[in-house]
Amino acid sequence: MASALRREQNRTTSALLIPALAVIVIFTTIPAVTTLSYAFFGWEGFQRNTFVGLENFKKLFTYPYIDQLLAALRHNTIAFVVIMTFQTSLGLLLAYAMFRVKRGLRLYRVVVFLPVIFSLVVVGYLWQALLDPYYGPVNQIIAGLGFPEFAKPWLGDTATALPSLMFINLWRWVGFPAIVFLAGLNAINTEYIEAARIDGASESQIFRKIIFPLLAPSLTIITVLTFIGAYEWFDLPFVLGGSNGSPAGATDTLALMFYRLSFGSIDSGANNVGVGSALGVLIFTLVGLGAALGSALLRRREVEQ
Amino acid sequence: MSSRVFFQTILIINLLLVLLPVFFLFNSSLRESNEFARTPFALARDPYWENYQRVWSEGEFGSYFINSFIITIGSLILILILALGAGFVLGRYSFRGNNLIFGFILTGMLIPAKLAILPLFIQLKWMNLLDSRLGLIFVYSSAALPAAIFIMSGFFKSLPTDLDNAARIDGASEFQLLRKVLVPLVRPGMAIVAIYSAIPIWNDFFLPLVFLQSPEKKTLMQGLTVFFGQYASQWGVLFAGLCLAALPLIVLYLILSEQFIKGLTAGAVKG
Amino acid sequence: MKINRFRGFVAAILAATAVVAPGASSASAATELTFWSWRTEDKAFYESQIKLFEAKNPDISVKFTPYLNTEYNAIVSTALTAGKGPDIIQMRPYGGMASLSDAGNFMPLTAADVPALKKLPAGILAGAQGYKDKKQFGLPYAVSALGVMYNPDILEKAGVRALPQTWAQLLAAFDKVKKAGFMPLGNAGGNGPALEQLHATVGPTFYGGTAFFNDVVAGKKTFTDKGYVASLKAVADLAQWMPANYQGIDYNTARGLFANEKAAFYIGGNYEIGYFRSLNPSITIGWFPAPKANAGAKRYVGTWADGAYAINAKTANKAAALKFLNFLGTKEFGQALVDEIAFIPTAPYVKINDPAVKEINRWRTTLGTPFLNVVGFRFENPTSSSILQPGFQKLIVGGTTPAQLAKDVQTAVSSWYGPQKGKS
Repeated sequence: MASALRREQNRTTSALLIPALAVIVIFTTIPAVTTLSYAFFGWEGFQRNTFVGLENFKKLFTYPYIDQLLAALRHNTIAFVVIMTFQTSLGLLLAYAMFRVKRGLRLYRVVVFLPVIFSLVVVGYLWQALLDPYYGPVNQIIAGLGFPEFAKPWLGDTATALPSLMFINLWRWVGFPAIVFLAGLNAINTEYIEAARIDGASESQIFRKIIFPLLAPSLTIITVLTFIGAYEWFDLPFVLGGSNGSPAGATDTLALMFYRLSFGSIDSGANNVGVGSALGVLIFTLVGLGAALGSALLRRREVEQ
Repeated sequence: MSSRVFFQTILIINLLLVLLPVFFLFNSSLRESNEFARTPFALARDPYWENYQRVWSEGEFGSYFINSFIITIGSLILILILALGAGFVLGRYSFRGNNLIFGFILTGMLIPAKLAILPLFIQLKWMNLLDSRLGLIFVYSSAALPAAIFIMSGFFKSLPTDLDNAARIDGASEFQLLRKVLVPLVRPGMAIVAIYSAIPIWNDFFLPLVFLQSPEKKTLMQGLTVFFGQYASQWGVLFAGLCLAALPLIVLYLILSEQFIKGLTAGAVKG
Repeated sequence: MKINRFRGFVAAILAATAVVAPGASSASAATELTFWSWRTEDKAFYESQIKLFEAKNPDISVKFTPYLNTEYNAIVSTALTAGKGPDIIQMRPYGGMASLSDAGNFMPLTAADVPALKKLPAGILAGAQGYKDKKQFGLPYAVSALGVMYNPDILEKAGVRALPQTWAQLLAAFDKVKKAGFMPLGNAGGNGPALEQLHATVGPTFYGGTAFFNDVVAGKKTFTDKGYVASLKAVADLAQWMPANYQGIDYNTARGLFANEKAAFYIGGNYEIGYFRSLNPSITIGWFPAPKANAGAKRYVGTWADGAYAINAKTANKAAALKFLNFLGTKEFGQALVDEIAFIPTAPYVKINDPAVKEINRWRTTLGTPFLNVVGFRFENPTSSSILQPGFQKLIVGGTTPAQLAKDVQTAVSSWYGPQKGKS
């Protein structure tokens, strides 16, 4: 009887697993592995040519691609550092604030998380309008408050374009760490906090010694996700700066460069699939290694707590 | 308590920073374009609904909506069916290779569709699925399945095993066990999977940009980028387009905010 | 149970396929042609012309879809590779779509199929040929000319009596306009291609026009030539006359400043006139060729065959597509191009009544010089444009120098262009 059940279970397993596995393998695994192989061939448009070994990687690291690559890499790294610092701390601040207030909590939760559900296209165009040098309210407000020299062309000036993008990104995403941290905060056993309070600990001491360490798992997840998001940053830069990272490449990212190389751009029309795939391999390695390493390091810290 | 006041202030500032831009968007969508260009910063005293009318008829938003709808719902159906089955098997059966397969599926989460876009493009071409909403459904489903299976298997695992035995004793087949007994119990998981999968699909513009060529198949977010190219400088119409594009999710979110929050942070929030 | 479940699964997929399957379009007798372009500005024009065509050809309908200029190339190349491209494609000139031409995406056109080709001179036809494959792939529809557009009303109010003939006079005119309280120049820095066009307008007189073009193409001179560097500097010098916060002002806003009569001058191509008029039908626009660098220099009007109409090599509607293409080559269409969007048509014997366009064409035929980057150096990567477009954006805010920019262009071009290889 047990073996009849076993046989039925085996049939069920096949019937239920195989379709799902098939879809994943066909539409995720095989393409991912193929991307790797593309980097080792020469290409004519979208037609594969001959095997060229590491030629594409070499090309990627020489003129003219190397300059774009380094600039994009710099931008992605700046994005990660800035976003990690500000977005995460603001998220934590908002979470803690929600943890401490009672009045209006439900309203605040809904509002804090609201921008996260907007599409990046909507967010991008909305902020492009808000930051418009002539018609946008942001500059009008700044000028109205008496600082007309600060009413800059935020998205057009090479110096302020990337910071503006990061600000918009923050506006859109800060609700995510906020909610994750809030859940983490709510999961903390209140007895610890009560005990510390009775012992006379100040609020900041309680936060630093008890709450923050116990938030380590949430912090791990946020860090890893932020890292991945920063190095795969595409949607917002594309909507606001096009595939060339306008103005003058100030908002160029690795993913934008990848898109450019894969599909061509306005001034050249031509694409270079080989170099693009090499870049893809690079990005994948960078993100994979970084995420794995970061995960491992942070997880160790979690356990120590 | 001054710290309470401090935290309330923080939250109110956040409230303003979030809601004021949204209000500006909505308000400006009701103003005539030239009037907006003259005085960008004024209340729409006389709502100019024509903007919306133009967006819908000229801007072809009707067809964009339908396409987004088809693709999102189609993907959801496929994802739920496949994730239910796979989650059940991986979560409740123990067999050789269970962990291996599970691990393999999870690595799928690491691979962003964007990086594999070229082979996907060539592969879909070969499969004759380019410029096809069905092709997009398969790609989206494939990308969403790892997380969906992860979530569903977690839910299945958490159900008590007595249920299985009781059902089997009553003569139920494995499929009946799944369908009649367990699925109703994992509905919350299905809701989470639905939201977690559907929102990024609805909001995505990149895959349609690459895989959908015919204008009549364009999705909402993809159409929005085309729309902005065509109506540049016609501010009122542009804003109306943005509002229409953002509206469905906002409404859904306001009704189901709890589930949205749970759904979208699933996997990041333990428990 | 198991079988039912499986059937249910299959049924769901089939249902989905039925819903989304392409080819389930309405069974109409009419042939539908799709027509893509990057000219969102001309949508109304093309749609009205299409109506005329459809009236004469009731069994053919044409759907016009313009895309954002900056993404047009990527979108077209993806679609063509997917085998899902449009029937009629508006083609970028010269190297802009050379790789697509060479890959066989466009149907070669013969004079037998498209009689209008017979009437076009070789220089114009070259704008729609492949790079490696010199077949004729498109029907060039317009010639563009670069110059200085101005608002006569503002100039009069500012007391600018004579049209500037030299560079110094131009800057003096800017100054007068500014002192009178108007914006001198509408051009801004937010759009790389627009800056490139600005340079192509005012630059030739500094670098030596057609003679320099021929020398660079032949490899006798390089981009680091003094004259060329001076031409780059001229663009940098214009920055002070641009609107406040010019780095962030995008293409449409900049054009809007001129169209809404806030700026006195706009430097660029005649294809902007149609757009200006669409924003402000009551505007009067004057035009003069770019001034000479100094008393001894010559004046030039940058010109090139700007865009062509091509047919998708894989089109299912060859006959209908050819019919439409020939419609686009008719004298009537050419006339409409002039009258409605102020283009200079390639179709001969078109009467140019529009005074602005007449003036432009007159100067163009006598002072014409090729638009260097577009005509000569768009064939391989990195194109000179890909260096200059972001380069100009940096230049006008002081992020690079004219000499450095010239060097960068030379490095780029010499990396692939035969006659320039190894030169710096």
